[in-house]
Amino acid sequence: MSFSTQRSDEMKCESCNEREATIHISKGNGFEKTEKFLCEQCANASFENDFSYPDDSFNIQKLLKSLSEHPSLQQTKRRPKQCATCGSTINTIVQMGKFGCPDCYTTFGSQAADIISRVQAHQSEHVGKVPVKARAQLKTKKQLEQLKGELAKLVEAQEFEEAAVVRDEIKALEQAGDDDGI
Amino acid sequence: MKSRRWNRQVMMMGYDHISPWMQESEELPVEMSARVRLARNVSHLPFPYMMKGNDAIAPVLEKLEKTLTGYRRVEMSGLQFEDKALLVEKHLVSPLFTKQGLLSYISEDESVSIMVNEEDHLRIQTMGVGLPMMDLYRKADAIDDMLESEVDYAFDEKYGYLTACPTNVGTGLRASVMLHLPALTFGSRIQPLSANLSRFGFTLRGIYGEGSVPLGHIYQLSNQLTLGQTEEEIINNLDELKERIVEEEMEMRSWLESEHLLEVKDSVYRSYGLLKHAYRMPLKEAAKCLSDLKLGTDLNLIELEGFQFQKWIQLIQPAFIKMRLNEKDIEITSLEHAVEEERAALMRQLLGGE
Ligand SMILES: [Zn+2]
Ligand SMILES: [Zn+2]
Repeated sequence: MSFSTQRSDEMKCESCNEREATIHISKGNGFEKTEKFLCEQCANASFENDFSYPDDSFNIQKLLKSLSEHPSLQQTKRRPKQCATCGSTINTIVQMGKFGCPDCYTTFGSQAADIISRVQAHQSEHVGKVPVKARAQLKTKKQLEQLKGELAKLVEAQEFEEAAVVRDEIKALEQAGDDDGI
Repeated sequence: MKSRRWNRQVMMMGYDHISPWMQESEELPVEMSARVRLARNVSHLPFPYMMKGNDAIAPVLEKLEKTLTGYRRVEMSGLQFEDKALLVEKHLVSPLFTKQGLLSYISEDESVSIMVNEEDHLRIQTMGVGLPMMDLYRKADAIDDMLESEVDYAFDEKYGYLTACPTNVGTGLRASVMLHLPALTFGSRIQPLSANLSRFGFTLRGIYGEGSVPLGHIYQLSNQLTLGQTEEEIINNLDELKERIVEEEMEMRSWLESEHLLEVKDSVYRSYGLLKHAYRMPLKEAAKCLSDLKLGTDLNLIELEGFQFQKWIQLIQPAFIKMRLNEKDIEITSLEHAVEEERAALMRQLLGGE
């Protein structure tokens, strides 16, 4: 494919027939050649197809459309749930093949999980890098979970003295967290 | 007929040459350039396609620019169609970005580009040739840490880095390497190979064009899954698969050499003749001929001084050729013809023809 900026004064875009054709695109060579005069907007559209940049490696829209028949993605209530941050509904998400904002991931809980699991070959848990800021927070959270489990066991075993110590540890951790603005 | 001379911003910025990082690199027999990309988003902000205007991202950029020294800010709005095409051909930005992207920060040697408002708020991209993929990842990772010190990323304990498209969620990492696979192509081994790879969550696809044989027999190997594996696992797996493909290509080349030497020699020297003496060269043909020359030099069937496959493949792309035409300020009836003529002239010149 090649293209050129043609300053044709009278030609209309062959695709939309509205705007002035400013770009000349031709594909193929020799005897099999197609030529088109397009406006910049339409040329941009065809431009994208020609430089297939293999990033998103399969057609997500197609995949998600097939998912829309899935029961968990179907609308059951009359008013569809909307993301408070961006206004997306599960329908718009499926239609676009994209979430509207980061909060959509939590807004559409099980439906989001379903989409992710299908797109990511049944994987559902991130095990990679954690942002520096989130690391301390996650560490505290894990510690708290562990201590709470310990506390429950101690209470059950009626070892109240030790339980009190663990309870204080939990309190201290929670307060430290608050101080850090976590 | 009109004479043409455009005021091309991208040229004035110096993006009309092969990127310094590529200029300085050694060429390998099969492996070409590699790329690592991290998709990142700012918390509680609509993804780019849902944004109304750019006001919401502006304060983020202000913060980012505190850390981005030595980067050039390239805004998409001021660029002409062909300026954008040139940046795409240099892999500095994606085609999607030329349509909807806001701006890009590009490092001095052009090995790093940070796209703002591509599909995600931020896409950090590092490129290189002949480097371990892990080095490219470490570089992107360090930039990521740097940016994170200024911006609150959208991150979820369970899903990792949150992205507009669920195909990127988790690590947000896409690693890819371009491979020159003429022998595997001739041996019809690409299809089975690629079917095998997809079972491991990797894809092998032709770059440029949808045809059955991609331009210049160049393919791109990349990871398809971004969740459930660490960045290191993704990179190491990709590296391992790459090595296996390189091995297979080399095996096929030995087979070609022992079983089909005359055919290979014939196509190498035919292509040499065409590139050296033709007066019109469509892109597809030029890429095919260059691919033949590369195979010929790799197999020591032909010696070519100064031949550099990867760089030349970039130089024959439409926007690069168009740029040479701009400089000449020529009058032409059909630009299509002029481009093919200019491409042929460039090849003749590079190969010392007439
Ligand atoms: Zn149009
Ligand atoms: Zn949302």
